Formats: sequence, structure tokens, C-alpha cells
Amino acid sequence: MIIVILGLLFLPTLIHKDPAPGMTMSRTRSRTLECERITAEVASQRYPGKVQPSRPRGEYLERSALVCAERLVRPGLREDRDEAILSSLQALVADLTSSAVDLHPELASRTWLVEAFYPSAPVSAKLSFATKNALVERGLLVSDRTPTLSAGDVDVLTRMPPEQAYPAACRRYNDNGSMGAEHALLAIVSRDPRETILHAGLCADGQWSWLK
Amino acid sequence: MKMWLADSPARRTSCRLQFWLPLLFALWASPVRAASPVQLAQEAELNRLRGEVANQVQLSAYDLVDELVVGWKTDPVFDEATPVVLAGVTVPVGLGTGMAALLENHIAAVLAENPSTHVQLVHCPTCTAVVVHSDAEATVVSRGIDDPAVLAQLGTDTGKHALFIDIEAEGTWLVLRARLTRLTPDLPIVWSRTIASSTSTPALLRASSDLKSAADAREDYLAALHDRGPLTIPVRLGVRAYAAPTDSSGVTVPPFIWLQTGVEMGATDARAWTSSVLVGISFIPQAYQGLMAQARVSRLVTGRTRSLSRPDLYLFLGGAIMTVWGPATAPFQADLLTADDLITSLDGDPPRTTLGTLQIGLDLRLGNRIGLSTFFETIPDRNQSENFGTYTRILGLGFQSFGTEVTFCF
Repeated sequence: MIIVILGLLFLPTLIHKDPAPGMTMSRTRSRTLECERITAEVASQRYPGKVQPSRPRGEYLERSALVCAERLVRPGLREDRDEAILSSLQALVADLTSSAVDLHPELASRTWLVEAFYPSAPVSAKLSFATKNALVERGLLVSDRTPTLSAGDVDVLTRMPPEQAYPAACRRYNDNGSMGAEHALLAIVSRDPRETILHAGLCADGQWSWLK
Repeated sequence: MKMWLADSPARRTSCRLQFWLPLLFALWASPVRAASPVQLAQEAELNRLRGEVANQVQLSAYDLVDELVVGWKTDPVFDEATPVVLAGVTVPVGLGTGMAALLENHIAAVLAENPSTHVQLVHCPTCTAVVVHSDAEATVVSRGIDDPAVLAQLGTDTGKHALFIDIEAEGTWLVLRARLTRLTPDLPIVWSRTIASSTSTPALLRASSDLKSAADAREDYLAALHDRGPLTIPVRLGVRAYAAPTDSSGVTVPPFIWLQTGVEMGATDARAWTSSVLVGISFIPQAYQGLMAQARVSRLVTGRTRSLSRPDLYLFLGGAIMTVWGPATAPFQADLLTADDLITSLDGDPPRTTLGTLQIGLDLRLGNRIGLSTFFETIPDRNQSENFGTYTRILGLGFQSFGTEVTFCF
């Protein structure tokens, strides 16, 4: 009788594999999973053999599949802020580029340059790469060229607060001929080390504007 | 002034600080501190984790590179073979440069195997090296590839385009981004692509010499797992053992080995129902020979459709007609056989018997390629024969034979 009672107690954990934290799943393990609920039809197409397709005359129960996949990079392997940025990189750059292109359709014919200002150089390079790809995929002309500043400009700009430094840099790009009337610069900026969102600024014709 | 300072308490304190601060800093930054056991353990664990993740990511990254090259094969960026410098390969942040080297090798190998991509990798050390160039306007320090105007002045014969590849782990997705940049002073990006692969998707492990698209590879995979058509040709090796007679003076029938082949047909692609017709031969010199024809109907009992990922179990019913001859087949005669009967029969013609049998059994199939089956067989015509015992009785019918088989399907 005791075995039956214990069996009934543990039965739910044995017959149902749930990604939520509980007796069979630690919180740490749960956090490494990303889950998505999909219909049985989609699941049978994606995972043939594992999920049976619906019967032609319908089902007695409504079926769906919960697909959980483990994150590629485990928590703790990268800096928390880098992880937050990189794990949603595609969505972030899609959002920033669409705001640039949609808010300024008059710049569609220009050649776009991209710069990323982020504390970590590898992450900054990835932000720049993803943004360039996103702009090209929107049908824009994009260049790998980076506008340059003189050493004196850099010395002055680094002493200025960010809200003045970016517009000043934009003016200098225009004045020193690094950027012309045929160029537009999209800058991806991390303004505060505590935030996990990114901002976008636009530099065109020596004028700086914050997009996001 | 100098002497006063040297003698003053402030100066003495300053001297002490000047002595102790560098020493403290040196101790703080010394390898002894860096090599504390806790820190070493943490670094070792981090490196172990990095290695583990890199192993998992590497095959998926190869898969994405293959998909990129397949895209160039089907829709080339260039009309003719074009020199391209592999300007940069970056891997997920935190996974180190070892993976980048592996990926560079894989990209070069796949492109070399597929010249129809028209991407011809060229070596250009100056392009990837940092170049310092100074003129009246400015001094520029950059990678050569980032300032082709400088390279042109240096007279370096660069490739016409630069290929940049970046792979990043974004949640449960591994994302490859690639772009081709023309190496002119304006550095225009002429082509870019973003490809993603989920961690829940197994790597396709395509051969670089015969690249296929992911869609085609998946079709092949499904075709291989589903079936290769409604018909398969099984080749089966089986052994039938016969139960010893209850009478101890009787002679036990020896085990019979059969080699069979024929045709197996699935009613639908699901292969829930299958039927088969096989012919077989048995030959043991000086003992027995035999021929048989066998038909079976099988029903899948572990689901409604044949599984692509686990073994399938079929329940089958069947019948066979077999004719056997040779000295060892004497017990198949209807009458009780004794050792004396065997001795007296040696001088005459070897006995020949034709039998009809019914079978029930289970067949375990692995990927519709290999089958392991076991069954009980009854010989209705010999149900009352004293030459056989029975292994089991079902519905009053005695099953005198027990068989096991291995099947290979082609």
C-alpha cells in the first residue's frame, strides 16, 4: 500500500517531462532552455517520427508540442551584458536598422556606413557585422569603409560628454571630408553600462540625430 | 628644500609609500596571486566548458558553412572565377580562436572542392596584416584590407574581393553572417547573407565533394529512413528447433537452418501492415536438404507508423510449405520413429516429407534494414505425432517448433 501511495505521489514527475523547474528539473537547468509551443502539424513536419501527424478525421484531444532547446552558450560563460546583447542580436539590429531606414526614407539612395560603440571590441565587431548585413538585406548600398578622425579630434572628443561628443564627431566627419553628401552613418551605441538595450544614431550631412 | 623634504615626516611617509606601494602592487599582480587554487579551478572549469560548447558548436558551424557554399553553387555571386581573400572568420564570443582556425580550414576545403562557386580563395598576408601608412595628410594604422588605397600605393597584388564570415551563438540559434566586399577604396559590400540553425537540429554532415542543400539533404534523410519504395528484398537466415518427443525412446528432430529471400511489401508508406512472400533453401550435407515457400502478414504494434528514430516491433502471422529430405528428416514422418527404425532405413532411399506449417511471432525491425524475429510454428498435420513434443499450446494447437531469424533488407 505504501509503495502504491509513493508511486502515485511520484507518478506525475515520471509520466510528464516538463521544462519548468521542479523535482526533476533544477532552476539552473531550466534557465538554459528556450521553449516554443507549436501545433502538432508543424511538429510532425519538423520532427518526423517523433511527433505523429494528426489523424485525417481529427483528434479526440487537441494536441500541441512544446519544443525546448538548450542555449548554445551556458550562463556564466560570457559577460552577462554581452550575453544579453548577443542572444538577441538579430532582433536588436533588425529593430535599429528598420528605425533608421523607415524614419529617413530620403537617405535610401546613399551609401551607408556603420559604426558600433560598445565596450567590448569582439561584441562591437559583431554588432557592426550584423548591422551591415541587415542594411544590405533591406536593399541599401553599404560600405565597409570606416570614417576617420584625426588624433587631435579624438583627443578632444574623448573629453566631451557623450551627448556632445557624438554630434561633434559627426560634424568633424563632414568637415574633414571623411563623409560626404553621398554618405549616411548609422552608429550603434551603448550609452550606459547598466542597460542591455542599444541606441542608434544617424549622421548625415554633418547633422547628428538619435533614432532610438 | 630638498633636504628638508627628505628629513620631514611627510617625506619619510612618502618614501615608505614609494617603497611599499610598488611592492604591494607587484605582489597583488604577481603570478603567485594569479595562480591561487580557486582561480585556477575556475579557469580550468571555464576552459572545460568552452571546450565542450565548442565541440557541440563546431559541427553546426560546419553545416552553416556548407549551406553558404551550396548557395554559391546554385546561385553564384560571380560570373567567373574571382580571387577572394578570406579576410576574417570570427567565432562565438567566448569560444576562443581554435575554432576559428578549424572553420578557416573547412571553408578553404569546401571551396576547393566546389570550383563552380566561382569563389577562388587567394592568400594575401599583407591584406590581413596591420599596415602603417604615413603621408602629408595623416598617418593611418589599419589592416591592409580596411584601407585598400594604402595597399594599392604599396603595390600589393591583392584579391579583388574580401570575404568576412562571422558565427555567433544567439540563444538556441547558431547564426552565420557572411559578406563579400570589393577591395576598392570605397569598400562596397557586394553581397551578404545570414543563415541560422537551431541547436535542436542535428548537423547534416554533408560530404564537401557532393554538397547538397539542406532541403535536399533532409529529403534524402527522410527517404532513407522512411523507405526506399514500397518493396524491399529481405534476405533471411533462420533456425528452427523442434521440441523433443515426450517418449524418451523417440528421436529428436535436428535444428533446421534456412536461407530465405523474396519480396516484402508495405501497404502504405506508414508500413503499419506489411506482407511478404519468400522462398528458402536448407542444405546440410549427409543430414538433410529442403525447400520451402513462406508467406507472412505483419502488423506494427508500436505505433501507427513506422518510427524514424526507434526500433519497430511487428506481430506476424504466416504459413509455410516445406519439403525436406535426407536421413535426418525421418522424424517428420507421421509414425513414431525409434533408433531401430533409423538404422533399418539407412539402406533404402532417404525419407522425403512435405509439410504445411502455421507461424505466429514477433519481428523487431531496426530502420527497415535489419530485423530480428522469433516465432512459434505448428505443423497441423503432425499435431498428434509422437515424434514431436510441443513448446506451447495456443487455442488447443500445439506448437512444435521454435524459430529465430535475422533479416537484412535491401
